[in-house]
Amino acid sequence: MKAFLPIVIVVATAALVAMAWVQSGGLALHEMRSAGTPQEAVEALMTDIQSRNWDRAYARLANSNDFEKQLFVRDLGGSSGSLRTYSSLQSFRVWPVHATADDATMRVRLNWSSAVGPLDDMRDLHVKKEGNVWKVVWPKPQLPKVPPQVIPVNYLRWDVIGRGATDDWGVQNVDNPNVRITSMNAVERPDRVVIVGEVVNEDTVPAYVNVNATLLNSDSKAMDQEGSFDMISHTLLPKQVSPYRIDFPGFHLKQVKSVRMDVKAMLVPASADPVIAVTDQKMDKDPLGKNVLRGALVNQSGQTVNIAQVLAVYYDANGKVIWVSDGYVDQALLPQVAVPFAVDVPDDVVSKIQNYHVLVNHYSINESS
Amino acid sequence: MLRLVSFCLLLLMPGLAAYAELHPPAQVTAGKGFSISSTGSGDATFYLLAPGHVAKREVKLGQDIAVDPADVKKAGRYLAVACGSGGCNSAAFYVTAAEPDKVSFLLHPSRVRVRTNDAISATALVFDKFHNLVLTPVTVDFKVVPKTGPTISRQVKSNRGVAWMRMASTPKEGPVKVIAEVAKASEARVIQQVASDACNLRIKAKRTAKGVLVETDPVRDCSGNAVPDGTIVSFAEIDADGKTTVDAPIKKGIARTELPVNGSAKISVASGVVIGNEISLGGGL
Amino acid sequence: MSTIVALSRRLVLLVGLGLLAAIAFPIFLNVLRADSLPQVQLNADSIEPRPIEELTGTNVTRDYANAWRDLAQALDKNQADHLDAYFTGFAKNNFTQKISDQKTTGVHVRYVDHGHKVKAFFYSPDGGEMQLLDKAQLEIQVYDGGKLIYQEDAAQDYLVLMTPGADRWFVRSLEPIAGSSF
Repeated sequence: MKAFLPIVIVVATAALVAMAWVQSGGLALHEMRSAGTPQEAVEALMTDIQSRNWDRAYARLANSNDFEKQLFVRDLGGSSGSLRTYSSLQSFRVWPVHATADDATMRVRLNWSSAVGPLDDMRDLHVKKEGNVWKVVWPKPQLPKVPPQVIPVNYLRWDVIGRGATDDWGVQNVDNPNVRITSMNAVERPDRVVIVGEVVNEDTVPAYVNVNATLLNSDSKAMDQEGSFDMISHTLLPKQVSPYRIDFPGFHLKQVKSVRMDVKAMLVPASADPVIAVTDQKMDKDPLGKNVLRGALVNQSGQTVNIAQVLAVYYDANGKVIWVSDGYVDQALLPQVAVPFAVDVPDDVVSKIQNYHVLVNHYSINESS
Repeated sequence: MLRLVSFCLLLLMPGLAAYAELHPPAQVTAGKGFSISSTGSGDATFYLLAPGHVAKREVKLGQDIAVDPADVKKAGRYLAVACGSGGCNSAAFYVTAAEPDKVSFLLHPSRVRVRTNDAISATALVFDKFHNLVLTPVTVDFKVVPKTGPTISRQVKSNRGVAWMRMASTPKEGPVKVIAEVAKASEARVIQQVASDACNLRIKAKRTAKGVLVETDPVRDCSGNAVPDGTIVSFAEIDADGKTTVDAPIKKGIARTELPVNGSAKISVASGVVIGNEISLGGGL
Repeated sequence: MSTIVALSRRLVLLVGLGLLAAIAFPIFLNVLRADSLPQVQLNADSIEPRPIEELTGTNVTRDYANAWRDLAQALDKNQADHLDAYFTGFAKNNFTQKISDQKTTGVHVRYVDHGHKVKAFFYSPDGGEMQLLDKAQLEIQVYDGGKLIYQEDAAQDYLVLMTPGADRWFVRSLEPIAGSSF
C-alpha cells in the first residue's frame, strides 16, 4: 500500500515523457535514423507518399535543398486536374538494381489506384548514405511551364437542336449519324475471347458511338453480350475511325459459332478542338522487359486536356486488326507540351504486328461539350 | 268484339308508342349536321356513339332528331341508339372524311449524300380539317426545289390516304426543299445534301523551322462538292524517331498540320476509308 | 366442450379461407384478363414498297394485340391512362375524348374481342409508317350505368396506321370503315 503511490507516480512520469518524445518527433527521427539500408529508405519514403504525408516524405530526401516541397508534391500528387490528382498510391514494390557501400540504385514500381483502374509507374531512384542513414536522391521534377501566349482556336463546333415535344408528327427530326463497323476479328486469349475491330463515322456530323457484341453458340443462342465500355473513342467526328475492343471473360473460341455486332450512334454536340498529335511512336520494351508501344502526346490547342486515354490498334501484314490496347496518361496535357505515354502489347501479338495506329480520347474539365 | 279489339289496341299502344325506329342517312360527311328520322311516340333517351365521341340527350320519338355538326367530326362507324319505355333500338351509319385540308408530310432522311439512288423517301398522308384520313384517292403534288437548278414536280395519287415517292439525291450539295401539296394544304421539308467521301485526296509538304507543314489540296468528293469543314483527315509521318500521327479537321476546305521531322520521312494521308497520296522527304523536297 | 372448440376452430378456418378466396379471386381474374391478348393474325404478303422484316412483323402483331387489349380496358373502365402504352397521336386523342364523354354521360363500352385478321399493305420506304387493314370480330356491348342498351356481334373493318417508337409500335390512327375486300 505504501509503495503503491510512488509506483504510480513513476509510471505516469515515464508515460508522459514518452508522449513528449513522440510529440517532439522523436519517433519520426528514430524511423528516419533507422533507414539502415537503401531498401528501407525507399520503402519508408513510399510509405509516406502512400499516406500523403508530404512533410515527412520531403524530409527523407537527400537533395531537398535542390527544389521546393511544392514541386515534389505536384510531381507525385499530380496537378492541372490530371488523373493523378484523383489517384492514390495503392501499393509499391522495391528492388535493387545496383548497390555499393555508399550509394545504390533502387527500382520502384508504383501502383496507383484511380477512377479508371490501376495505373503503373516505374522509377529508378538513386539512394545515398549520409552518415548511418540512407536517403533518397529524388530526380528534380521538371514540370513544364507554358509561356503566356495567345493561341487562336477556330476549329468547328457542332450544336444539336432536336424536334420539340409540341412539334407536329410529320415534322422532320435530325437523323442519327451513319456509322459503320469496318472490321471485326475474334481473338482467343488464355482466359477470354476478345472481339477487336474498327468503326468509322461515315456521316458529316459528330456521333456518340457504342459497339456491342453478342456471342452465339452452335444453336444460335446468345451466350453473352458485352459492350466496348471505354475501349473505344465514343465521340467520333466526321470520317473519324476508332478501334474498339470487347472482352468476354471465361469464354473460348471453340464455344462460339458466330458473333452478332451492334453499333449504336446518336447525335451529340462536339468540338473539333483540341487536336492532339501523337509523336515518336515506336515499339519498345519497358524496364521490366515487357513489350510496349511508346510515344508522346502533344496538345496543339490552347486548352489543357486534363485526362487523356491512348487507344492503339495493331494490324497484321494483311491489314487485319489483331489487337487493341489502351492506357491512361496520368499527367495533364498542357498546351504545346509533349507528354510521354506507353501502352502494353502482348508478347504473342508483337511478332505479328505490321502497322499500328494511335487515337487519343480526351477529357477537359472546362469542356462545354 | 269491338270492345275486345279496342282493349287489345289499348294494351299494345304503350309498346307501339315506345318502340322506335331510327333512320339515319346512308352516308354523312364529317362536320356536316343532319337529322335522323324516328318513328314511335313518347320520350326517349338518345345516344350517339362515335369513334371519338359520345353524346346523350332526351328526345321525342316520332320527330327528327337533329345531330349537331360538332357531334360528327370523326370519320368512322357511328351508332345511334334510342331507348324508350318499350326498350332500345339502334341504327348504324358511316361518316366519311370531308374535303382534304391538311397533309402530314414525312421526308427521310434529314441528311443524304449526293448522287445516291432512291435515297430520299417522301410520304404524305392526306387529312381533312378534323384529322380524318381522306380515303378517296386525291392527287398529291410533290415539288423538289434544289439549291441550284430547276424545280422538279411529281404527282402521285393517294391510296387509302397515303401517297409516297422515292427519288435520288442531286449531284450538288446543299439544302433541297421538298413540298407536298394537296388542294390548299402545303407542307415543306428540307433535306441537307452533303458531299460524299473525299476523292483524289492529295497533300503537299513544305519544310519549316519546326519540321514540315503538310496540307491537303481543297478536299472534294468525286462530284466536285467540297467535303464539309470539321471532317477529320489523318496525317501520318514515319521517320527515324518513329511514327507521328495527327487527326486534323478540315478548315475552310483544307486540312493542315505541322509534323516534326528527323532526316528523311514518309508522309501519308487518309480520311475515313479513303487513302490519299504519299510523300517521301529526303534531304529536301 | 372440446367438440365445441374444434368446431369453432373449423368455422374460423372456413371463414378465413372464404375471405381469402373472395379477395384473391377478382385479382386472379383481373390478372388473367390483363394477360390474355386478343388473337391477331398478320398477313404481310402484299406489303409495299418496303419488305417487312420478320422481327418487325412479330413486334407489330404483338403491339397491335396489346393495343386492342388496352383499348377494351380503357373503354370498359373509362380509364384513359390505359391508352398510354400503345396509342399515340390522333388515335389517342380521339379515344381519350371518347372516354371523357363516356364518363360525363355514364356510358361505357365493352368489347369482347374474338380476334383480328390483319393485312399489312403499306410500309413506308424509311420504315416510319405502316398501314394495315383489320377485319375484327367483336362483340360490342354498350351500357348506360348498369343497363345494357346495345349489343352486337360485329365483323368490323378498321383502317390502322401504326408508327414505330423507341421500343414498340404505336397505333396512331384506328378508323372503322365500311366493309372492304382484302
